[in-house]
Amino acid sequence: MEGAQLPELDTLVKFDLKVLAAGAAEVEAEEFIPVFHRWITERLLPELLIDVADYSHVHEGPGVLLVGHDAIYAYDLSRGEPGLLYSRRHESGAELEGIDSLDDRLKSLLYCAFRACDLIEAEPQLDGRVAFDRHRLELRVNDRLFPSDEQTALTLAGAFRRALVEAGVRDGDAPVEVKRIGEPRERLTLRTG
Amino acid sequence: MSQSTVDSTATWKERLEGRVPPHLDEEIDIFETQIAQKRQGKIDDKVFAETRLRRGVYGQRYDNGQRHDGTASQALEYPCGDLTKGPNTVWDAPGMLRIKIPFGAMNGEQMEVLADLAEEYSDGIAHVTTRQDIQLHFIHIDDTPDIMRRLAAVGITTQEACGNSVRNVTACPMAGVCRDEPFDVSPYAHALTYFLLGHKDAQDFGRKFKIAFSGCEQHACGLANMHDLGVVAQVRSTSNGTTNTERGFRVYVGGGLGAVPHQAKVLRKFVREDELLPLAQAVCRVFGRLGEKRNRARARVKFLVAKLGIEEFTRLVDEELAILPPDDRWSAYLGDLSVTDEEPTRPAATLSPGSRPEGFGEWLGSNVQRQRQPGYVAAAINLPLGDLTSTQLRALADTTRRYNGGHVRNTVEQNILLRNISEADLPALYAELHEQGLGEPGASSLVDVTACPGTDTCKLGISASRGLAGELRKRIATSIRTTGVLADEAVKDLRIKVSGCFNSCGQHHVADIGFYGISRKSDGRTIPHFQVILGGQWTENAGSYGLAVVAVPAKRIPEAVERIAGLFVTEREKGESFQSFIARIGKARVRQLLDDLTKLPTYLEDRTLYSDWGDPREYTIGDLGVGECAGEVVTAVEFGLSAAEREVFQGLLELDRGAADAAAEKAYAAMLQAARALITTENIDIGTAPEEIVGEFRTRFYDTELFFDPYAGAKFANYLFRVHGDAQTDSGEEAHRRIEEAQLFIEAAHACNQRISEIQARVA
Repeated sequence: MEGAQLPELDTLVKFDLKVLAAGAAEVEAEEFIPVFHRWITERLLPELLIDVADYSHVHEGPGVLLVGHDAIYAYDLSRGEPGLLYSRRHESGAELEGIDSLDDRLKSLLYCAFRACDLIEAEPQLDGRVAFDRHRLELRVNDRLFPSDEQTALTLAGAFRRALVEAGVRDGDAPVEVKRIGEPRERLTLRTG
Repeated sequence: MSQSTVDSTATWKERLEGRVPPHLDEEIDIFETQIAQKRQGKIDDKVFAETRLRRGVYGQRYDNGQRHDGTASQALEYPCGDLTKGPNTVWDAPGMLRIKIPFGAMNGEQMEVLADLAEEYSDGIAHVTTRQDIQLHFIHIDDTPDIMRRLAAVGITTQEACGNSVRNVTACPMAGVCRDEPFDVSPYAHALTYFLLGHKDAQDFGRKFKIAFSGCEQHACGLANMHDLGVVAQVRSTSNGTTNTERGFRVYVGGGLGAVPHQAKVLRKFVREDELLPLAQAVCRVFGRLGEKRNRARARVKFLVAKLGIEEFTRLVDEELAILPPDDRWSAYLGDLSVTDEEPTRPAATLSPGSRPEGFGEWLGSNVQRQRQPGYVAAAINLPLGDLTSTQLRALADTTRRYNGGHVRNTVEQNILLRNISEADLPALYAELHEQGLGEPGASSLVDVTACPGTDTCKLGISASRGLAGELRKRIATSIRTTGVLADEAVKDLRIKVSGCFNSCGQHHVADIGFYGISRKSDGRTIPHFQVILGGQWTENAGSYGLAVVAVPAKRIPEAVERIAGLFVTEREKGESFQSFIARIGKARVRQLLDDLTKLPTYLEDRTLYSDWGDPREYTIGDLGVGECAGEVVTAVEFGLSAAEREVFQGLLELDRGAADAAAEKAYAAMLQAARALITTENIDIGTAPEEIVGEFRTRFYDTELFFDPYAGAKFANYLFRVHGDAQTDSGEEAHRRIEEAQLFIEAAHACNQRISEIQARVA
């Protein structure tokens, strides 16, 4: 039953949100290395950013990562679908203070991921060669302690739809479609578009 | 039940109840308690650092709270504030977790859990090390107990993966299927691993202790010559003169790379299989007793062997062997040597003619070796820089289940080996691996460059070893594709190995062409360089070490490789090996060959040299930190006292929940623990029976007045004697008093240890 309350989901912090690239990628993952280093140096995000990791040599891997304390950002190449991955691990930063519900958390995830997309799209070193489709999203529960059953999927999908609407992600006048993907043994994953 | 098919929230401790072996469960609980103690400032920084290192919880670059951006250092404001997890190591800073994989053997379930952990706690990558471990990076220390539980539930431990302990026991990945070995060394490596894990005689080292097994003398797979203890399989005719043979080992000691490489010396030409474990134990006792503790740069066993000479070292080992208390475990495992067997699950069959997937021929030629079992082969997965994704690892688990029952071995060349593959299955296997991005050819060849983490994550890294290795892989692959000089058959099997500093984690000394990171000043700035090492020998268990020839700027190393390889291709004599070639032409000739590459342009002329591979920041060594490879030198007595403090802490928790009897018991246990810790300074064979501990304590520390406080005299010692005579109590007040007494007793033990250390220092 969509929208049913599962209180434990309010305590779930670890989510991955991937915003898929729009169209064919015209940028190499390695090009993000100097970009992410500069983000750290110039403190372009209001959170603690620590390091850059390059896994562009790995087949359909996490590409190039910007490692922060609260989250990892990546120009991610998994499944051969480039995109911006925002992987939240903690909520210690000032702007994440006070998040105590699933709905608030999903809104915050979308905000942080889209903000990174905006920065990348405006990045002078990449001169507009990468754009993101904010209607093609993947939301994944990154904590196997939490149930991946149908009820949880429905609850999560309902909350995700509400967050998308609030973030202005619509399919014309209609809400975007959210569906579950992946095998049962994989982490619970929802996809839009 | 898979860890991923859970259906309700809980903690991992609750979720895995009954699935974690009790001894590991207790060990992980202890670590979790120590984490709680550290958070409350109740455990010393140095002790906690060594404690976590001995659980594989390692530091990582930038964990001192500073990051150099090329022009200036900036503070990383971790949310934990001043809380640290070791000297100059910030609590919240991401770290590395080293996961021991004894002799590199993993099964499908273990691979799946490793994949899960890489996703949930790390960066989605599992990294295979040059010692067959798996490492996860960017791990938060608070997550480590749960990670350890999830690993323990599938038979993996991180215990003693780092720190001054017996590290992962490695072995030839072809063990059991190799055509040249007299027998499979796997069960012996398995037995020695678990015999020495947590063994009391292997807890008081000044540095780490590495053990490797090899099935034969001639190949490189085991690298026995470069280990603290190298064990090579041998058989000999039995002494009764019959045609029967018996199994045994040639045992080497005192090998090692590091800044000063040493070739191992033969400790025993032949030990019978039942003599191996006690011999290793005796070596540990000699190392623990006489190995250097203060000067970490000279604390490996190789320095002890060099100082004493192999004859004296052998005599001391013999002396220890003569007094070792007998232990059933020395030979109990010999009753079932099948414990590590991996039986084929598909029928043996030869590769039949027919259509082949594209790229199959090249892969077959470079990545597949015949086994001694007819119809079966071992297929290597050439991992770029030892990395694979969680998705690949999970897919690999499925693949191996289909083809060999779900078994792999990690290799010291940072690859993964699939054994017991039916030859007939090779095309289908290749197709699957290729689909997963795991079908790269060139395993164990020139293109298969290995590297330590270097400046990517290591606090000691000087140059970007992974950045250079990645660049070399690309260029060599391109050269092979375009039939450039690196495509020549003569250089195909040369090995390139890169270390980020002189410590040799990338094993540069035993490569044909090795590099280690250094820096050079020019034009008022620092330029990353690599020292070029030539002439090392990979075969014959790392038979000889190379020597430094010249330092070349990091960005010019690919050019240097092409020149060296080109010279070998054009000037080698028929049948001449690379080592012989280098020896013949001389290092001066190589230096001359590379001379122009060493000339440094000014910063304005060419800025590219002033940054490192894969890192656009202007190069600096400002991020260098204090390495944790050596661990913290924490003596057994300090560890014992720390354990006593933990007991008291747990006693306080019992008191909080109103369990007076349990609290009093903990207080008593803490005093015993502290007393036992002191006794180990004089008698390393002390048991755990309270009567024995109290008796020994009375003789050695009370009667001698060594334990007496300068002001309070025997007061604190009497706390132990009193509680020893009357351990039980139900009274909360009494339990409270005993907790306080236990704390005072431990403080007195610390003070006593300090006095003893000062006396020893004066004597020294």
